[in-house]
Amino acid sequence: QEFKVNFGLSNGDPNAPIEVEADSLSVDQATGNAVFTGNVIITQSDMSFRAALVEVTYLTEDTGIAKLTGSGGVALQSGNDTAQAETAVYDVESGLIHMTGNVSLAQRGNTITAQRMTVNTANSTAELHGRVRTVLQPAAN
Amino acid sequence: CGFEPAYGPNSAATRLRNAILVDEPSNQDQFELVRQLEHRLGAANDARFGLSVALDIREEGVALTSDNRTTRKEVIGKGTYALRDLASKEVLLSGKVDSFTGYSTTGSTVSELAARRDARRRLMIILADRITTELIAKANTLPG
Amino acid sequence: QSTQGNKVILIADSVFLRGSETLIARGNVEASYGETMLTATSITYQSGPDQITIEGPIKITAPDGVQIFASFAELDADLQTGLIESARLVLKEQVNFTADRLRRLEGRRSILTNAAATSCKTCDDGRPPLWQIRARQVIHDQDTKQLYFEGAQFRLMDVPIFYVPRLRLPDPTLNRATGFLIPNIRARSRLGTGVKVPYFIAFGDHRDLTLTPYIAANTRTLEFRYRQAFARGRLSFRGAISDDDISSQSTRAYVFGEGAFDLRNDYKLRFRIQQVSDDAYLADYGYSSADRLNSNITVSRVNRAENTQLMISNFESIRTGEDNQTIPSFITSARKQKRFVPAALGGEALWELEAHSHYRLSDLSTDVNGDGVVDGRDVSRVNADLSWRRNWLLTSGIELGTQASIALDAVETRQDSTITDTSYAEITPAAAVSLRYPWIKRAENGVTHMIEPVVQLGWSGGTLRGGTVPKIANDESTRSEFDEGNLLSLSRFASDDRRERGMALAWGVNWSRLGPDWTTFLTLGQVVRDTVQPDFSASSGLAAKSSDILVAAKFKNQAGLAFSARTLIDGVDGSNKAEARGGWNNDRLGLEASYIWLDADPDEERVADLSEWNLDGSYRMTRHWTGLANWRYDVASDATAEAGFGVEYRNECVKAKFEVSRRFTSSTTVQPATDYSFTVEILGFSTKTIDKSYTRECGQSAG
Repeated sequence: QEFKVNFGLSNGDPNAPIEVEADSLSVDQATGNAVFTGNVIITQSDMSFRAALVEVTYLTEDTGIAKLTGSGGVALQSGNDTAQAETAVYDVESGLIHMTGNVSLAQRGNTITAQRMTVNTANSTAELHGRVRTVLQPAAN
Repeated sequence: CGFEPAYGPNSAATRLRNAILVDEPSNQDQFELVRQLEHRLGAANDARFGLSVALDIREEGVALTSDNRTTRKEVIGKGTYALRDLASKEVLLSGKVDSFTGYSTTGSTVSELAARRDARRRLMIILADRITTELIAKANTLPG
Repeated sequence: QSTQGNKVILIADSVFLRGSETLIARGNVEASYGETMLTATSITYQSGPDQITIEGPIKITAPDGVQIFASFAELDADLQTGLIESARLVLKEQVNFTADRLRRLEGRRSILTNAAATSCKTCDDGRPPLWQIRARQVIHDQDTKQLYFEGAQFRLMDVPIFYVPRLRLPDPTLNRATGFLIPNIRARSRLGTGVKVPYFIAFGDHRDLTLTPYIAANTRTLEFRYRQAFARGRLSFRGAISDDDISSQSTRAYVFGEGAFDLRNDYKLRFRIQQVSDDAYLADYGYSSADRLNSNITVSRVNRAENTQLMISNFESIRTGEDNQTIPSFITSARKQKRFVPAALGGEALWELEAHSHYRLSDLSTDVNGDGVVDGRDVSRVNADLSWRRNWLLTSGIELGTQASIALDAVETRQDSTITDTSYAEITPAAAVSLRYPWIKRAENGVTHMIEPVVQLGWSGGTLRGGTVPKIANDESTRSEFDEGNLLSLSRFASDDRRERGMALAWGVNWSRLGPDWTTFLTLGQVVRDTVQPDFSASSGLAAKSSDILVAAKFKNQAGLAFSARTLIDGVDGSNKAEARGGWNNDRLGLEASYIWLDADPDEERVADLSEWNLDGSYRMTRHWTGLANWRYDVASDATAEAGFGVEYRNECVKAKFEVSRRFTSSTTVQPATDYSFTVEILGFSTKTIDKSYTRECGQSAG
């Protein structure tokens, strides 16, 4: 039985194009960041990122997105792995996604819950911390 | 000097009279014990309390003569009693009483049999009387 | 967390997911699957081979009291099968196995290689455990609850004592298994030094047989105990067969058996068998102190309203100077008591029917052997009795008691030339009125005093036999007692073949003090009659018109001290009977003492005063050492009758007991005997839970 984490495994390229859908968009004058609200869906190749509110911070010379900050309940979907948390920050440049608050990760029968999780989309690894609880489905041997 | 009749008017002990159902006996010792308890506390009619007594009785030879004859035996009995409220099953009073009686074994075989049966009967009467005394003494702690 | 079916639950401080199929859990890792629990510092789960590698101090807790401690292990994902390195297996927190490797199979079996087993506390000061069993391989099977040792070597303080190629021991959760029990070494004067090696054979769950060969210098004996449980009852037999050099008999044997069965409609059957080949056998081997063997069958039914006892009994005396021809050896007795509440009168009524007969083998109708009793007398009697009693509570708090009864006694005496009224019948009406006036004082500190005077005036009819009127046989009521139990009885004879007659005034006072700290009871009583009852013996205290004064006292306190005493005092020569029992029990001391004083009394065949102290105590001197002592001292003849002392060393894994006792009494058939006994028992393999208060601490010395 395969247990795979394929966050971004398919293209392994953090700077694939990112599309964003949302009910509304506003710009925060002070920081110049774009704030999407209302079932926001962000997709990058086969990975999708849903949240109630996402704030986008751009790189200094507006050459691309530096950081996506989702809050109000975030769901990350990649291949058939799903992860939920209260908030998530996707640092596009480093390919790291930091999720905090009731994090739960589900992969084909195994569920892991924790306080904090960091997913490294580059080398498809993940770290969970804070009394992590894993439910494994051993092979029926 | 502070003494008053235990069964005086509206005294605590009167509430016990005819109000205790003693558990059913299953052997001769318990039969004698229950008979004496009902004699002293009054047979139960619509009883409020249940009384159970766990008996632990053993016999021990004493008075060994120089030619190895045990000439007397003592019946040593302990009774652990618990008075409970029949409705709520809650134990209200409990305690332990113990005593012993003796009988001689120098008579004929039938005299030993009769003396043993009489010694056990007397022991049950003593234990029942002791339990009755303790219940009367602690009757004031009973609710209602 | 709930165990959902066959899922493994893993909890850790952090989890790292590596590549496609690696999950690493680190920091206070806990894993559970079904009833198996595991704690470790880190666990690596490979989903491919579905295997778990575990590091750090590992603790696995499996069902049936199995615990495994290790530093490294590789198990299947469901924690049931796999290999554990440098493991320590602990069974029911009692037996410790250390092994180089432990292979777990399906969570039910553990196979240890190069293992050492002990239940002794091993401190990390490098000293070896008191005893241990080393083995090439130990298999622990949780289903059969057995431990199979291969190439087992028993070591005492690391010194090899003996080697056994194959050894099987029960695991501490097994309560029934065939096998050897703990042997013990006995030395008994006249039998010499020997050893008893009990072997227990379980035939299924309901039957077992224990065979104990006892081989000593002067005896070859096989002891046995057989037990069987049925749906409606159980029986057990014990006995022994001996071929020894100390008696003229070629083979000597005894068998004691008893059983109890539930019959239909609440009847119970009980039987008892006691047979022995020769009179001195039981005393020589210390099997029993019984001096009258009684075999009987009784059928009984008892409930609130009824007491029915039917009995057939046989006596065989092994007392010196008691001839089985002239003692009542066959006794049949049928007795039924029924209680009911008479509608009109209230109170309690009871009718009783009793038929009793006892038979002596001898047919001589005179006292040929000169023991004061006609040799061949046989007696049968029938008694019918109807009695009624009721108490009234008067407003003043006085309890008025009334009682009335009518009894018919019919007695037939055979083979006794001294009796003229061979068949005799008597009607005995009786009545009594009693007053009981309890007073109570409840002090504030929880102490309650009670004073309860009681007085009873009774009368019994019927003709008083003895003197001019020819006597009838008296075999049963020859030993009567007087105590608080029959102070208010209308007849204090032990059996219905004798009744007290005439007027009798009985008075008594009960004083009791009940308090949280200590409690005491005191009873005084006396019976005053209008006529002397000839059949009471002098030392019974009831012989004279006014009886001896009964004084009985009881004391017990919170510190575990308790004693009961009773004496009969008459004005003339003080006390002629005194009995006391006492004890002092706390967590270190267990002392039981009893004292008895009986005046010489020819009626009770007691030619000299009899007085005896009896002490039996155990004192826990230190955490591990307990001293035992017992002493029976015959005050009148100023000689010790029995004495013994013993010492017991006990810790968490071994119990050694040494005891010596000597019985000084002797008769034509019984010789004085000294008995030494030494037992060493290794603890931990039985289901008895270990009393932790004996466990040694690491800091202290082994002693």
